[in-house]
Amino acid sequence: MPKHRLIATLLIDGGNVVQTRFFKRTNVVGSAFTAVDFFNGWTVDEIVVLEISKDTSGLGRMETIVQELSRRCFVPLSVGGKIRDVDLAHKYLRIGADKIVVNTGAVDRPRLITEIAERYGRQCVIVSIDGRPDSSLPSGYRVVVDNARRDTPLDVVEWAHSAIEHGAGELMLNSTTHDGNKKGYDLALIKKVSDIVSVPVIAMGGVGQLSHFIDGIMKGGADAVAAGNIFHYFEHSTKKAKEAMAQAGLPVRSIGFYKINMPRRPKYRAF
Amino acid sequence: MTADASTPDTPAISGAATVAVVDYGLANIQSVVNALECFTPNIRVAASGDELDGADKIILPGVGHFDEGMRGLRARGHDRALDRLVREMHVPLLGICLGFQFLFEGSDEGAERGLGWVEGQIKRIPSAPGVKIPHIGWSELDCPRPSRLFAELLPPIEVYFVHSFCAPNTGEAGRIATAVCDYGIPFVAALERGNLFAAQFHPEKSQLVGMKLFETFVSL
Repeated sequence: MPKHRLIATLLIDGGNVVQTRFFKRTNVVGSAFTAVDFFNGWTVDEIVVLEISKDTSGLGRMETIVQELSRRCFVPLSVGGKIRDVDLAHKYLRIGADKIVVNTGAVDRPRLITEIAERYGRQCVIVSIDGRPDSSLPSGYRVVVDNARRDTPLDVVEWAHSAIEHGAGELMLNSTTHDGNKKGYDLALIKKVSDIVSVPVIAMGGVGQLSHFIDGIMKGGADAVAAGNIFHYFEHSTKKAKEAMAQAGLPVRSIGFYKINMPRRPKYRAF
Repeated sequence: MTADASTPDTPAISGAATVAVVDYGLANIQSVVNALECFTPNIRVAASGDELDGADKIILPGVGHFDEGMRGLRARGHDRALDRLVREMHVPLLGICLGFQFLFEGSDEGAERGLGWVEGQIKRIPSAPGVKIPHIGWSELDCPRPSRLFAELLPPIEVYFVHSFCAPNTGEAGRIATAVCDYGIPFVAALERGNLFAAQFHPEKSQLVGMKLFETFVSL
């Protein structure tokens, strides 16, 4: 069986990597290129880049960022943020993205998932779902969109089923009460969904210490675990996370090292 | 038209190995070019069979549907050019994912004939409890026999897969398999026969292991 993946998430606002807490931006932590170079060297298994600017004026810059990142990213690269039609998805895939992440665009028009899946295969579509605790709904979680600024009538579990029927290849789950709070994933939310779906589930939001990754898989039932904030501040944090997961008995990709002669490793082009 | 992948800061250099990447309209060629760029300045994205001429190495990448891919190869004259260059002139070829599957006689995914260089048929991965289709993610390889491509790698060898169809580890594929992976059933993850190399996984997305494979292939 495939190994459990450790995923680094980069949130891009106006061309910079930012951190969020409860879906609100806090501080700028630097350049996306530096971050990806570190993650590449630190055995992260996948990189997710999301554009979270308030408006669409940053999308042109995002394309340049994706194009340049893909030139140095030799693990799968997933790209999302403001994708509402198959054209923008196609654009990202053509310049080097491997998967597309949809959220608000898919809730507003679920056909979007199908359109991308039919053209590129369902392995290409990650549906990202943000939940807010709400006891009036059967699963106890309501789907929120637009960076948690807008409520929807949807129940998280119901939407998860529907997203898969429409063609989602993976689900990524975050929670309004856990995003950026460093207390760990919303394990109840993740377990509710991972227990009943057939596609891989990625846990996201709230990691403050390495044991939270292990909890996401062992207690939450996630296949893959993602984080953003924690990786920016701890040196060798992705490597340490892998070691902690392996020590807990979870099958993870090993930290191999090969000396590779890359005489022509490209420099980033200025933009 | 020959699309030269080299950028203004990496001009083509005569003398270095020329690697042609077969473009049949489907695969994510950019990822493969990105990886190759680290090893050679002379990368040629060949939009038709004519443009493969003169290449020292050929890469047949792959993402997409079997039938659409084979039709793309034939429509652009790649099938005849590959037959001449790889089978008659023994230019080393590396097939990746769908490019691995094209080498077989056919695939359960569609009705088109494959290139037929390797005996056997590509099959759907059998579904079973706990076996999610497609097989996505990092899985470990078992290497049953020595391989030129894998010569520099040490176990555990973990690589990135995305596929719903596979070559079962039987028949000719099983005899020339240099790597086998288990996903409900054992399937051929890599094969080697003379100048023919192929991988069901994606070296361009398998980080250092994949880069080591490209380094080895380019310098064969």
